[in-house]
Amino acid sequence: MRHNKNIALSVKDLKTYFYTNNRCNKAVNGVSFDIEKGKTLCVVGESGCGKSVTASTIMQLLPTLSRIEEGEIIFHKDNEKINIEKLERNGKEMREIRGSDIAMIFQDPMTALNPVYTVGFQIAENLKYHTTLSKKEIREKTIRLLDDMGIPLPEQRVDEYPHSYSGGMRQRAMIAMAMACNPKILIADEPTTALDVTIQAQIFELMDNLKKNYNTAIMLITHDMGVVAELADNVAVMYMGNIVESGTADDVLRRPTHPYTKALLDSVPVLGRGRDQDIKPIKGSTPDPYDRPIGCQFAPRCNWRTESCDIMPEISNISETHEIRCHKYKEIFQY
Amino acid sequence: MIFVISFLVYFGLDLTPGDAVSHMISPELAATITPEKLEAMREAYGLNATFLERYWIWLTSCLKGDFGYSMAGGVAIKDIMVKTIPATLELSIVALIISTILGCSLGILSALKKGSATDSGLTVAGMAGVSIPEFFFALVAILIFGMHFQWLPVGGRLLPHYETLLDRIPNIIMPSMVLALALTAGAMRYSRSSMLDVLSREFIKTARSKGLPEWRINILHGFRVALTPVVVLIGFRLPLLIGGSTIIEQVFQWPGIGNMFIRSVRASDYPLVMMISLMYVFVVLTASLLIDLLTALIDPRVRLGKE
Amino acid sequence: MKKTSLDKKFDKLRFLEENNKLVSKDQNRLISKFLNNKLAVLGLIIFSIIILATIFAPLLTSYDPIRTDLRSMRQSPSLDHWFGTDNTGRDVFSRVLYGGRVSIFVGLGSSLMAALIGLAIGCYGGYKGGWVDVIALRISEIFMSFPQIILVLLLVSITGQSLTNLFVIFILTGWGGMYRLSRARMLSLREEEYVQALESFGISTFTICYKHMLPNALGPIMVMITLSTAMFILTEAGLSFLGLGVPLNVPTWGNILNVATDIVVLQNYWWMWAPVGIVISVFVLAVNFIGDGLRDSTDPSQQG
Repeated sequence: MRHNKNIALSVKDLKTYFYTNNRCNKAVNGVSFDIEKGKTLCVVGESGCGKSVTASTIMQLLPTLSRIEEGEIIFHKDNEKINIEKLERNGKEMREIRGSDIAMIFQDPMTALNPVYTVGFQIAENLKYHTTLSKKEIREKTIRLLDDMGIPLPEQRVDEYPHSYSGGMRQRAMIAMAMACNPKILIADEPTTALDVTIQAQIFELMDNLKKNYNTAIMLITHDMGVVAELADNVAVMYMGNIVESGTADDVLRRPTHPYTKALLDSVPVLGRGRDQDIKPIKGSTPDPYDRPIGCQFAPRCNWRTESCDIMPEISNISETHEIRCHKYKEIFQY
Repeated sequence: MIFVISFLVYFGLDLTPGDAVSHMISPELAATITPEKLEAMREAYGLNATFLERYWIWLTSCLKGDFGYSMAGGVAIKDIMVKTIPATLELSIVALIISTILGCSLGILSALKKGSATDSGLTVAGMAGVSIPEFFFALVAILIFGMHFQWLPVGGRLLPHYETLLDRIPNIIMPSMVLALALTAGAMRYSRSSMLDVLSREFIKTARSKGLPEWRINILHGFRVALTPVVVLIGFRLPLLIGGSTIIEQVFQWPGIGNMFIRSVRASDYPLVMMISLMYVFVVLTASLLIDLLTALIDPRVRLGKE
Repeated sequence: MKKTSLDKKFDKLRFLEENNKLVSKDQNRLISKFLNNKLAVLGLIIFSIIILATIFAPLLTSYDPIRTDLRSMRQSPSLDHWFGTDNTGRDVFSRVLYGGRVSIFVGLGSSLMAALIGLAIGCYGGYKGGWVDVIALRISEIFMSFPQIILVLLLVSITGQSLTNLFVIFILTGWGGMYRLSRARMLSLREEEYVQALESFGISTFTICYKHMLPNALGPIMVMITLSTAMFILTEAGLSFLGLGVPLNVPTWGNILNVATDIVVLQNYWWMWAPVGIVISVFVLAVNFIGDGLRDSTDPSQQG
């Protein structure tokens, strides 16, 4: 592991398994990555690949029938290291980290806000539990936060209920809530999937500004390669509970090496290349999580498959920043 | 709605045996009256008019508070109602309060400890609560607490010469508890499933991600939202409360309207049966209206939607 | 970290999974879910035992439920009379068995009939609308403004007491709920794509409605049938207990309980009323367990 003062959170060999329906689903099966301060890490992958579970694991927001099996989540708070996986799920220490040090934005702002309380009340809650501000100061800060997020008439909006907000405004309010205590890390779980494309751009611009102004580390979960190209400093590509390729945005987007990453990029049309571009869908479909391939998880859908793929490949380094989990990467990289 | 039903009720009343005039005047008067006078009265009351006209006269007098006379004893139905309704209300309200508080808190407990022994135990107990016939439960309660230990009176609302509120308490304990039994089980089921539904929603995760303490998540975010459907469902159970109270009143000799209703059914006292049924319908419809208002108070979405 | 029981369960599952011991079974999901619900299975077993016992009542007891025997009045339970005898010397055990026939027949039969009527009108009304639907909706509204037992009592007082009357009254009071439920299901199913696809193929309304849509609406209806069976049995028992249900000479569970209105019987001869009360409770409980199991296995929103 690289040692870097700027690392806000590092995850090492994390395994999170689900135990629903009397089966064991290895949703996250050995994932390692770092999130750096003031940088955006984009986690990309198809739905069901374990990216959202990874985010929930960091926040310890897993459902009851699941647990962290192995690995470490180290949160670098100022000068101390906190092993999040060792904290009690809803215990005091974990609650102190949530909302104040690590905050989270969810996919669907329509359902993520409680319909029976005003937006102001829900933002104020965060401040109430993590700061020592007085009631009046909390209210002022709440209004200022809404204002910062570009919500018009914040004095008035603060007392309105979520259902009178539009989708984009709700997501702004969610971000205001998440940013209330200036968290060191912001985890955004597909924050724009439920929004219109025009609103998406605004939300991302907002997040980018936060990163620059507050030096917040952002972990952005998405399946949209366009978003990755736009925002990411670092990228991690996940497939069936593993990170198959990671590196800087340049590494992964310009020199994609893992067959899955390549396939993923090939399946997205690129604006400006005209109509005749060659879009290749990925063949086959994601395997049943209860009936996984042995060895490399992508092998059944891979054009480069050989017999060696029946063994799970280890992580190899292409360059100092560029890591990959594939037996054939040397050939592919040259190719 | 109430008018349609009142029409049907009057239609039924019209079909039942007995001269229509006998519902209008007291039997003492009827006994001394001559046929000619009776005929004149009929003319005066419009009883020889068409069915619709008679219905109109009946309806207007009902609205004025004149419900006619009972066949047995010739007591004014209005007087019977005035005497019995408070007793029923007393019983129902106590039972409603007990069952709502008990049912909701047990349901929440059950939901928060989902899958535990407490949860399964409460679920089975709740099922038993709706399965045991209320009157059977009442009989067992009478036998144990009323006869064996003699802790509580076996029936009635008031012992003679005991008039203060405190004296009434022993009398109301058993009937209200028995009446509350099935309702508690219902309220428990509803609040459990409603609470489970709410706890799986996304905003609970949001609340947790803000680092709020568990009690605040469960009560302020969970229960507060779960409350709306529970109120509605308890409202829908009100007819059950009313229905249950008729039999319970009978078992405990509680001098309420349900008791009176069963007596009038036994005696085939049609005017009384009809009027009491009509009153029940009125209560049910009023209750559903109140539930609508209450939901609007609790849920800001509905509240704003109506403005 | 301390190991909770949940952790142990997880360890076991993980071990099995890693050794490929767990394979998804290919049987019907609904049936397997139902069978996994222990209470529902228990309910089904009790339900079957009681039904079989009442059907084969002549094999289980040699006593006639109606014949009085003044030489053996008010006997406490013994080997001869398992549940004792009542005021007129009738064997209580035999009365419970034969009474069960009537009570279960009334409860199950009338709720099935009510479901049949409700479904037939509800499916058609929900799918096609029109004046049939409007009228049925209004009528069901009228029926549903009455508390159920009040309406039953009202109708009993008008029609008089008899088994047939009670049967008809239960159907009259029960169809409304079934109708509204199936109508609501049909209204939402109508919007589904497959129905529009069928329509575009020119398949007749009748076929679409009863052959393609009805099976999809059946889950909640089944639950409602079990719940209303339970309710009708309780109502019958309640009415007969008050002496307003089935005429007293027919043995039903409620009529057997009727003796407990006498305070002397209540206090001194527990066997005359307690066993039948318990049988009613257990039977209704079993029906409710089945209903709950059905609800869990058919309703995707209540999984977990």
